[in-house]
Amino acid sequence: MTAFTGIPYNTLVVAAAVAVVGCAAGVVGCFGVLRRRALAGDAASHATLAGVVAAFLVTGRRDLPTLLLGAFVAAVASLGCLVAIRRFTRTRDDAATAIVLSVSFGIGIVLLSGLSARGIPGAGGLEQFLLGHTAALTVADAITLAIVSLAVVLVVCLGLKEATLVSFDPAFAAATGWPVLLIDYALVALVAAMVVVGLPAAGAVLVTALVVIPPVAARQWTDRVPTMLVLAGTLGCAAAVGGVAASALVPRLATGPTIVLVAALLFAVSFFVAPERGWFARRLRHER
Amino acid sequence: MTGARNAAAPAVEFHDVTVAYGRRPVLWNIDLTIEAPGLFGILGPNGAGKSTLLKAALGLVPLAGGRVTLFGRPLAEVRRRIGYVPQRETVDWDFPVNVMDVVLMGTYARLGWFRRPGAAERDRARAALERVGLADLAGRQIGRLSGGQQQRVFLARALAQDADLYFLDEPMAGVDARSQERIFRVLDDLRREGRLVVVVHHDLRSAVDWFDGAALVDMRLVAAGPAAAVLTQENLRRTYAGHIDVLDELGRAVERGGRTA
Repeated sequence: MTAFTGIPYNTLVVAAAVAVVGCAAGVVGCFGVLRRRALAGDAASHATLAGVVAAFLVTGRRDLPTLLLGAFVAAVASLGCLVAIRRFTRTRDDAATAIVLSVSFGIGIVLLSGLSARGIPGAGGLEQFLLGHTAALTVADAITLAIVSLAVVLVVCLGLKEATLVSFDPAFAAATGWPVLLIDYALVALVAAMVVVGLPAAGAVLVTALVVIPPVAARQWTDRVPTMLVLAGTLGCAAAVGGVAASALVPRLATGPTIVLVAALLFAVSFFVAPERGWFARRLRHER
Repeated sequence: MTGARNAAAPAVEFHDVTVAYGRRPVLWNIDLTIEAPGLFGILGPNGAGKSTLLKAALGLVPLAGGRVTLFGRPLAEVRRRIGYVPQRETVDWDFPVNVMDVVLMGTYARLGWFRRPGAAERDRARAALERVGLADLAGRQIGRLSGGQQQRVFLARALAQDADLYFLDEPMAGVDARSQERIFRVLDDLRREGRLVVVVHHDLRSAVDWFDGAALVDMRLVAAGPAAAVLTQENLRRTYAGHIDVLDELGRAVERGGRTA
C-alpha cells in the first residue's frame, strides 16, 4: 500500500483506465494483424486528428466523447476512402494506404494550425491528440474509455469463431455461407474504435503501435489464436501502464512515444527469446 | 411435388454460364450437367478457367451470364450440402491455428453465429482426421506439416462438413505420391457412399486412373461425359493445342487406359 501513497486518486484511475485501453487494443489488434490490415489501421489513426479538430469546429464543444466521436467518423471515412481507391482505381494497396494516411493527416495538421493561428478560444490542448497526454484526462473520461474498451473486447470474444474463420480462410468462409464482407468490416470497425479510444493515451501518430506491436509480439510465443489474444492483451496493458507511469514521473513527457517504446522493448524481447519462433531458438535449431 | 422433382434433379447444372474478370472473359457459355454419385474431373490447360468454374458453382465469382443450380435449386438453398476444398496457396499457413482448429471450421456453418464447437463437433472432426490419416497430428500447428499433409487437413475440414456434393480445387498440387493416393482413395469412398465429388485437376495420367466422369475446359467446354469417352487423343488435342509435350505423355496414358490402381 505504501507504494501508492502520494499518488493522487485521479492519476490512479487514469492509469487503470489506460491499462484497460492498452489491453483491449492488443486483443482487437490481433485480428488487424492476422488479416494483414495493420497499415489500414495506421491510415485510420492518422485521420483521427482531422476528426478531432473538425468535431470541435462543428460543435464548438471540446468534451472528450464529442471529439472522439469526430475521430471515429474520420477513421471510418479514411477506411472508406481506402476501399474506394482500391475498388475504382488501379492503385496498389500500399500506395493507396500511403495516400490516405498522408492526405488525411495533412488535413488534420492544417486544421489544427489554422485553429491556433486564429487564436480561436478553447482550441488550446487539441494538439495533445497528436502525441497523447494522459495527464489531461478526467476521471469520468477515463472511465468512459475503459467501458468502451471492455465492450469492444466483449464483442471480439463473442465473435471469436467467426473472426478466426474469416481471417484464416475467407474463400472457405464465403463458400460455406458466412457474410465475409460484413465480418471483415466489423473487424475493421472494431480496430478503428480501439484506435480512437487509444487516442488520448498514445496520440494520432503513434496509436497504431498499440494495435500492432502487442499482437506481433504475442504471436512469437504461441500457435493458437485464443492464447495470442490473451498475451497481446497482457503486453498491451503492460506497455500502456509503462507509458503512463513514465509520463507521470517525467514532466512534459508525452505518453504516446513512451508507450510505443515500452511496446517495442516487449517486442524485442519476444523476438529474441521466444521458444520455437524466437531468434535464439531458431538459431539453435539451425546449428543442430 | 417439388421435393420429388428436386430429388431427381442433377447434382450440378451449369446453364449457359459466362464469367468475366473485369472486361476479360474467362469462361464462355458453359453448359454442363454432372450427376451424383461420381468422381468427376475438370481438366484443361493453365488459365483455362477450371478454378473459375468451381468458384462460379460456389457463388465466389459473379456470373456475367447464365445460372448454376445444385440439386435443382439455387446455391443459397442447398449450401449445407456443399463441401469445399480451396487451393492450398490461398491461405497463410503460418496462421496461429492447429490441425484440429482448421478441421473444426468445417462444422461452423451448421453451428451458426456465436455458438462454439462442442463434443459432437470434436468427434466429427476427429473422425474426419482419422479418415485422412492425420489423427496423431491434431495438435500440430498447420505450418509444420508437409504439403500433402496440409492438403489432407483441408480435405478433413471438408469431410467434417458432411456434404453430399464436394468441390475440390487442385487438391493434388504440390502433394507427394503417398498423400495423393490417400486423397484419391478418400474421394473414391465418397463416391461409393453416393456423393458427387468434383475435382479441378491437372495431371491427366491419374485422371484416367481415378475419374469416372470428366470435362475438358479451355475457356469453353470442349467435351464432357464418361472419362473414357472424354479423355481421347482427339479431345485432348483440341483442348491442349500447342502443348505438344503434354500431348505425347497423355497419348500414352490414354492408350494404356483404364484403372491401374
